[in-house]
Amino acid sequence: MAVSTVVSRRVKRKAPRAFLRRTFKQKKPHLRLETACDLLIHLNCLLFVHRLAEESRTNACENKSEVIKKDHVMAASKVILKKSRG
Amino acid sequence: MAGRYSPDPDQTPRTLLRRVLDTADSRTPRRRQSVRNNAQRSLLQIPSSSKRQSSQTKIVARRHSYITRSVVRLARVQTHGHLEEQTPRTLLKNILLTAPESSIVMPDSVVKPVQVPEMVESSKWESSPGSLELQLPELEYPSTLAPGLPATGRSKQRLRLSVFEQEVNQRLPLSQEPPGNADASSLTSSFNLSFVPPCQSQSVGRPGLARRRPIRRPVDVGVLLQDLEDNSLTTALPGDNYRTPVATLPTDAVLEDTQPFSQPSVGCSLRVYHSLPSPSHSEVKGAERVVGRRTQSTGTGLEKHMSRTSLGTTPLPFSKLQPQPPEIREAVGSQEAVEAKEQEGSSRDEDTPGRPASPELAADTYNLLQAEQPHQSLQPPPPPGVAVSEPLESVPARLPSRTQTVGPRHHQDPYKAGLSHYMKLFSFYTKMPVEKKALEMVEKCLDKYFQHLCNDLEAFSAHAGRKTVKLEDMELLLRRQGLVTDQVSLHVLVERYLPLEYRQLLIPCAFSGNSVFPAQ
Repeated sequence: MAVSTVVSRRVKRKAPRAFLRRTFKQKKPHLRLETACDLLIHLNCLLFVHRLAEESRTNACENKSEVIKKDHVMAASKVILKKSRG
Repeated sequence: MAGRYSPDPDQTPRTLLRRVLDTADSRTPRRRQSVRNNAQRSLLQIPSSSKRQSSQTKIVARRHSYITRSVVRLARVQTHGHLEEQTPRTLLKNILLTAPESSIVMPDSVVKPVQVPEMVESSKWESSPGSLELQLPELEYPSTLAPGLPATGRSKQRLRLSVFEQEVNQRLPLSQEPPGNADASSLTSSFNLSFVPPCQSQSVGRPGLARRRPIRRPVDVGVLLQDLEDNSLTTALPGDNYRTPVATLPTDAVLEDTQPFSQPSVGCSLRVYHSLPSPSHSEVKGAERVVGRRTQSTGTGLEKHMSRTSLGTTPLPFSKLQPQPPEIREAVGSQEAVEAKEQEGSSRDEDTPGRPASPELAADTYNLLQAEQPHQSLQPPPPPGVAVSEPLESVPARLPSRTQTVGPRHHQDPYKAGLSHYMKLFSFYTKMPVEKKALEMVEKCLDKYFQHLCNDLEAFSAHAGRKTVKLEDMELLLRRQGLVTDQVSLHVLVERYLPLEYRQLLIPCAFSGNSVFPAQ
């Protein structure tokens, strides 16, 4: 997998750590999160989004459309969410 | 025309009358110009055609002049026929043209009046100079028939006469037209004809006219008359549907009494218009639309009150424009302002069915659209006043909707702002343009994902008997997701996707001094 792709526009690599922690706290207030766990959550999110994007792109290319449309994303999300359930 | 030959001794009153008519000018009705144009065109054609046909001789020059003069005369004669007014001139002309020749000359002279224009026409068409020469004296001596005229022409003209007679019989209520051989009867019939309205006389007056004219005439006259009638009655209707609500309102009150409620509502509307901001009402042009829009946008508060009272007037344009819904939106000025609001109300109905005010407004408008307009125009102003104000206020506020709602902002905005990071990553990963709806879909998907994530982490930590989520739980999750396999370990993933700073935090690394970071 080519990770080091040429970035046309600067995509920030920073993980929204505060956001992740806050979200987790909102959803599961009784739980605590460890130090580096949010980074792994971030990694998990990255991977999820990556898979979703790939799947959506595949769907769009199958439909021979140059734009990713809602139905492409919907179909992709169904598959990937099913895959992503732990 | 002084340069004429003196006519033959057997001058008929017909010729005299014709000369009189030709010499004097008549009024200038509208159509004369069109006929003049036709005459001019024919004039242009004649010289060209004749030039082509004949050699340059004096005869040619003379012919041109004669032809032009004859054509002009013909044009004038035609214009006379176009006149609607029953003047002595038109009467005489009609006599000349319509009535068959009652002279003592040979039966060919019967066709004489028909011949005059026809000869002019034939002059254009005749190719031989000889015939033209022959026709020249014919033009001058209408009383004498030139032998050059073909007998077939006579028969054609007689046929045309018969056709003309048939037309006359059809059109005239007084069907007193004899076959047209008796003098007195013909004269009387011609008189009768002359009293016929000008359109009929016009078409009657040109039976013998050659091939082109009859094509035009029946259409022109009828259409023109209808146009005249239409124009006289409805001045505001031409073309612009936009102006009907405003322009036709006063005209309708005056001209058409078809609508029973037109007048009282017109009165209401006038009163309302006075109360309304003047610029929106004064200009009844297309620019008023812009003004109305501006006034509507700027003075919404002022116009809200005005719109209340003018709601009574809207039933009228609504009733008129009911079959034309797009024109409701395009109505001018105050009408437009009101209707814009109501259109917004209706659109808001579609967009936000949950709003209580807009359905009420719509219901009010529908009530107003019904028959009881004048009554309801006075009654509903107060209730829709309250109803209209709320949706109207919310209309401008609808666009920046999110900023005004304070409550949900606390939850949504930072959450969405955080998610936007991942949405950008999504669009980056796809390397393709993504629709906005698709992005919204991704957002929902991410939301669901986070929910699943938290639940799973909770389950895993609970399984381990902890209340803290640790890295082991995360690794388990990744493994269950299939991202971490026997071939691909967590560290590999970390190294791939995370920047250096995070890598150092996650992957234990040995440092100098026999220390490992992060501490294991």
